[in-house]
Amino acid sequence: MGLVRIDDRLIHGQVVTIWVKALRSTRIVIVDDSVAADSFMQDVLRLAAPPGVTVDVCTVQEGIATLGEDTPGRDKTLVLVKSPRVAEQLYQGGVKFRALNVGGIGAGPGRRSVFKNISMSGEEIATLKRLMAEGVQITLQTVPGEKCVAFVSMAGRL
Amino acid sequence: MTQIVLVTHGEFGDELLRSAKMIVGPQNGVYSVPLLAEESPEGLEAKLDAVLQEIEGEDTLILIDLFGGTPYNVAARRMRELHIECVTGLNLPMLIETLMMRDRVTAAELAEVATQAGRESVRNLGPLLNK
Repeated sequence: MGLVRIDDRLIHGQVVTIWVKALRSTRIVIVDDSVAADSFMQDVLRLAAPPGVTVDVCTVQEGIATLGEDTPGRDKTLVLVKSPRVAEQLYQGGVKFRALNVGGIGAGPGRRSVFKNISMSGEEIATLKRLMAEGVQITLQTVPGEKCVAFVSMAGRL
Repeated sequence: MTQIVLVTHGEFGDELLRSAKMIVGPQNGVYSVPLLAEESPEGLEAKLDAVLQEIEGEDTLILIDLFGGTPYNVAARRMRELHIECVTGLNLPMLIETLMMRDRVTAAELAEVATQAGRESVRNLGPLLNK
């Protein structure tokens, strides 16, 4: 897998463009049940996607079925999900990614600020700790080149 | 008269509106919906929906700062259910022109006025002045 990224804004202009360039991605797969059911929202996201990149949207179940080891072009694929929960669902379903980037989770009820623009609830922190225990390398970073923090270095304090 | 909603990263919209008022005077029916640092898309969505509910049934033009950003993602999504116009690339000339024209044309025409005004105001002065 090129990268699995958690960002509740999904595709948002500049940030995704920088990631796509850094990873040389040719495909973005958004795994999100609500966007998968909303074709107008898919049009909105595709319209603003970086040129030359295919954007596919699928449900969690479809993601589990199609993002496994033998997916063609897997290392050029950027997978976007909105929450730690979906990342874990993919992993438990058999999509065994090694690296997970947390790029943006906005503040909300029950969430506290963890790092920069990343807030998490207790449940979301616990989810990432479970993935970490499975051997997934989790980093918190908005864009390549900016400060990058390993989740393992802060997990004890959370 | 078309209602104007500014949706921006941070308080750019509020400040831009203040700047525009210096030129075109006090305005009614202009709303600013900021995406604050650390705010989630759902947070912005709730604030935008509150404004859109308040002006429901009125002609509405949403001016968005950045094509492709979260204000774009959130506002454009509302075009599915609501009869609203949306234009990206918000800048001061776009806002001023929009405020001056909004009681003279339809919302769809106003969206075109905004797009043109925003585009035409960008000039590289060096070549124009032979400097």
